[in-house]
Amino acid sequence: MDSFITTFHIDWKIIIAQAINFAIVLVVLYLFALKPLKKLMKEREEKIAGGLEDARCNAEILTLTKKEYDEIVAKAKIEAHEIFQEGKKEAQVKKDEMMAQAKTDVDHMIASGKKTLESEKAKMVEEAKKEIVSLVVLATEKLLAEQTDKNFDQKQIKNIKNS
Amino acid sequence: MSQNNLQQNIQTEEVSHEATLYAEPIAHIGGLTVTNALFTGWVAVFVLIIISIAVRAKIKQIPKGFQNLFEIIIEGAESIINQVTNDKKITAKVFPIALSIFLFVLINNWLGIMPLGGFGIIENTEHGKAFIPLIRSGTADLNMTLAMGVLSVIGANIFGIMSIGTWKMFNKYVNIKAFVDMIRKVRKEPTLLISAPIMFFVGVLELIGEFAKVASLSFRLFGNVFAGEVLLLSMSTILAYVLPLPFIGLEILVGVIQAFIFSILTVVYYTIAAQDHDHDEEHESKEHKVATAH
Repeated sequence: MDSFITTFHIDWKIIIAQAINFAIVLVVLYLFALKPLKKLMKEREEKIAGGLEDARCNAEILTLTKKEYDEIVAKAKIEAHEIFQEGKKEAQVKKDEMMAQAKTDVDHMIASGKKTLESEKAKMVEEAKKEIVSLVVLATEKLLAEQTDKNFDQKQIKNIKNS
Repeated sequence: MSQNNLQQNIQTEEVSHEATLYAEPIAHIGGLTVTNALFTGWVAVFVLIIISIAVRAKIKQIPKGFQNLFEIIIEGAESIINQVTNDKKITAKVFPIALSIFLFVLINNWLGIMPLGGFGIIENTEHGKAFIPLIRSGTADLNMTLAMGVLSVIGANIFGIMSIGTWKMFNKYVNIKAFVDMIRKVRKEPTLLISAPIMFFVGVLELIGEFAKVASLSFRLFGNVFAGEVLLLSMSTILAYVLPLPFIGLEILVGVIQAFIFSILTVVYYTIAAQDHDHDEEHESKEHKVATAH
């Protein structure tokens, strides 16, 4: 043992000094480099993991939104088609109604026109009749006026004679 | 006249530079003999403090340059240690110690092969004048490797006590539990009469093994690094500046490998110390009972 100690110059003071050296290295490295770096790396790892999770969630949301969008668009298309069809039907009904109404109106108008025409005609006929009558009377009066005077006198004479 | 002769003698006297098994003293501070290896140790500590402060000062969420390199080292070291421990909790605890050992040993190894060996002092010895370099690999001194070995093994045992408890750790070396079990279960299991003394002897072997670990760790590191220094010195004696170059490359690699081996062996010792053999045995016996029941 002694020869070992003398050969290698083993000195417990140097051993302790070297142990202290290592202890200083351990403490300084741990406090100044390893601990803060590990903390930072962990934070970064968590951030990256969080970011990836967010991206995954966003992708899922995007997929769902796209699906919803497609569904809504498809539904809207169907609804639009239905609305169009309904509108078409309603328009057809309305058109038919309007056509019927127009027909009725036209019929009414024709009927009332006919009636007016009839009444006008009747009026005109009446007026014509009256005119004719008055003309005939006038003509007759005129004709008679010339002959009546002679006849009247003769009749009057006759009547007076008979009486 | 005599003074001129003395000066001539001084000028013509050759200064020897030999590779010694021990670190040469360069100064004395109080009762402490400062050897060139201890001085190198201080330089290594200084270098690592500077590196640590530099890392702390430039730490950013988005890493750049030096921080990138350090993060790569941390991640790589953690991955390797995790392969050894197979347990992330143990890895988290052992990692700072293992990385500190690696860096401290590595810097100590490399400082010895840097071209700083030319700086030194000339001392008068029994065999004439001798050149004593200021820098010698810290690990080329058995005092340093012994300190590291002892710290590693004591640290592993403390870690074992913290992990599995004092009683179980004590029974690893002085297996009293084996004798207690023998007395309690000898009627059911007579084979314990043979196995208990064997287990006790195994415990003693484990205790001797702890000293062997210190010796193995310290002598391996010291031997490799010292051999490297001797090799470089021999090569430079044959053909200075040119011949040592490839060997310097080799020694740079040896420095990394030796630092790696030392730190990985420490991790292995820590992992072994944290394992509860009794628990494993109980677990195995339970599994065996379940298997036989089925």
